[in-house]
Amino acid sequence: MRQLLGFMAVLIVITVGWLALGPRQNSSTSVKLTFHAVMGGEPLVYDQFVYSNPGGEGTFRIRDFRFYLSNLSLRGGDDTFAEPDSYHLLRFDNADKTHSISLTDVPLRTVETVRFLIGVDPEANSSIEARGDLDPNSQMAWNWEVGYKFVVFEGGLQIGEDVTPLVYHVGFSENAREVVFTLPPDILADGGEEVHLNVDVGGLFEGTTQINMEALSSVKFNRVDAEALANNYSTMIAPAF
Amino acid sequence: MRRVLLSLTAAAIVAVAGWVLWERARAPVATPIADFSAPFVFGRFSVPPDNPLTEESFILGRHLFYDPMLSGNNEVSCATCHVQALAFTDGRAKSPTLSGGELDFSSMSLANLLWGQERFFWDGRAASLEEQALLPIQHPDEMGQNLDNLIAELQASGIYRKMFRRAYGSVSAENTAKALATFMRMLISSESKYDKYLRGEVRLTAQEEHGRKLFMAHPDTKVSLRGGNCIDCHSQFLTSGFRDALDGFSNNGLDPDEALPPGLMAVTGNPAHKGFFKVPTLRNIAVTAPYMHDGRFETLEDVMDHYNDGIVVSDTLSPLILEADNAPDNGQGTVGLRMTPEEMQAIIAFLHTLTDEAFLTNPNFSDPFHGDT
Repeated sequence: MRQLLGFMAVLIVITVGWLALGPRQNSSTSVKLTFHAVMGGEPLVYDQFVYSNPGGEGTFRIRDFRFYLSNLSLRGGDDTFAEPDSYHLLRFDNADKTHSISLTDVPLRTVETVRFLIGVDPEANSSIEARGDLDPNSQMAWNWEVGYKFVVFEGGLQIGEDVTPLVYHVGFSENAREVVFTLPPDILADGGEEVHLNVDVGGLFEGTTQINMEALSSVKFNRVDAEALANNYSTMIAPAF
Repeated sequence: MRRVLLSLTAAAIVAVAGWVLWERARAPVATPIADFSAPFVFGRFSVPPDNPLTEESFILGRHLFYDPMLSGNNEVSCATCHVQALAFTDGRAKSPTLSGGELDFSSMSLANLLWGQERFFWDGRAASLEEQALLPIQHPDEMGQNLDNLIAELQASGIYRKMFRRAYGSVSAENTAKALATFMRMLISSESKYDKYLRGEVRLTAQEEHGRKLFMAHPDTKVSLRGGNCIDCHSQFLTSGFRDALDGFSNNGLDPDEALPPGLMAVTGNPAHKGFFKVPTLRNIAVTAPYMHDGRFETLEDVMDHYNDGIVVSDTLSPLILEADNAPDNGQGTVGLRMTPEEMQAIIAFLHTLTDEAFLTNPNFSDPFHGDT
């Protein structure tokens, strides 16, 4: 009996100690990443010839803009949280021209670094398994032999009376681009859990290579053209604090 | 001996009576469709939580689908315009109206509705199959039925009362829609030559394989890739329109701006959707002529000719169609794919691999009021 009491006392001490000093079970964080599609700092406008050809004549309109964001991971202190099945199709054809990714129960006390790919990792890009927003029967699938389009931009370029179709479909595993940024220390303090990011759609055509849409009105399977756009889009996303 | 027999009979009668009463009194317990499996490559699908797939619902839906009682004059059933042997189309450019005219649209094929675009009708005006199912019944030109009258007629039928009770508990318009939706969801076509090819069971002929490759490719003259561009609207495995948002609708260059019908714009109010129509499945396409929302093309050759050099440019025409061209030089006033006759024939050969004889003759999908089943 005595032994049992002693044993129970030890157990209680251990339990209380664990609760007080051990890793806190409720130290999870919620993070919401909200991406804003912008052109020249303003929300994206669809279907109107209001934007100037970055590298030449004419004005263009956007009918469709979307891209895959994958392998999202967060880092705080020495710990990293990698979202499982992390494949998000970001599209902005809504009233706010935004797309939000909400992560709940992130087992990190703080989030210092955010990391993801624009595009799809090679393993998933060569698979027909539907996971996350990957869907081989979707508009983003080229076909199972080629993989997914990573970034899609479609529209038209108007020069005078003539309208030229614009089709930029960028894929191929080598064109996935990693984006990493650090959060200011207080951004997630006091219950503020939303991080805003700007997606500069025009960045697709400016940056390392300035695109004249008249000369290069489509990019699909030409690897050199695709890489040029990939280098451009690698810097199109930036946090807006 | 006689006594024993008598008591046994009495006991049996009591047991049967008790069982009948119990059967009548208990709440219906519908049986989930057990051997339901879908091809992996078809991907995700969803069934409304308040209308799970059950055997009882399917049986009821199948009877309703084939029953002319659903129309005002008791002469037209769903199956009048959706004939199984024609992959649930009717072989006409436009279906007839009750008054002898013709409807605005061609009868749509019903296959693999669990997957792909989740809006229904050519202009996408129904957001679910449950919503879709009651509209032709009530349409004055299609079946011309008043729902209250229909429910009264179904209530008057002991057989329907029993089927409704087993499937849903009671006769109602909502349950009529649910049962029809279940029947349509189970119209699954996955035994075509293409399906067998995807499962590694058969090989395609050289011509079919050539057609498949063209089907799956957007042409790019810059890298000498030739393509029929079909996959830009028809997904690679389902061959239907895309599921996500309104991706399963497109303007495929049939009419100029002046004559462009509203299409999806009538539903969304967005001028960018003018002339957009639902991209249909190409499953069983060889038996669903004539083609397009208004049945304007009689043959698959006509369809290929349209995409090859007959595209009519309008403001909302898909840039993917306008841009897709297999010839590097500028065309002489025509817009289209500019493939060779052999390439077009190859695509047509591939389209024939989408015919599923097992689907077209599946006894479970046939008229339950006739035949052996």
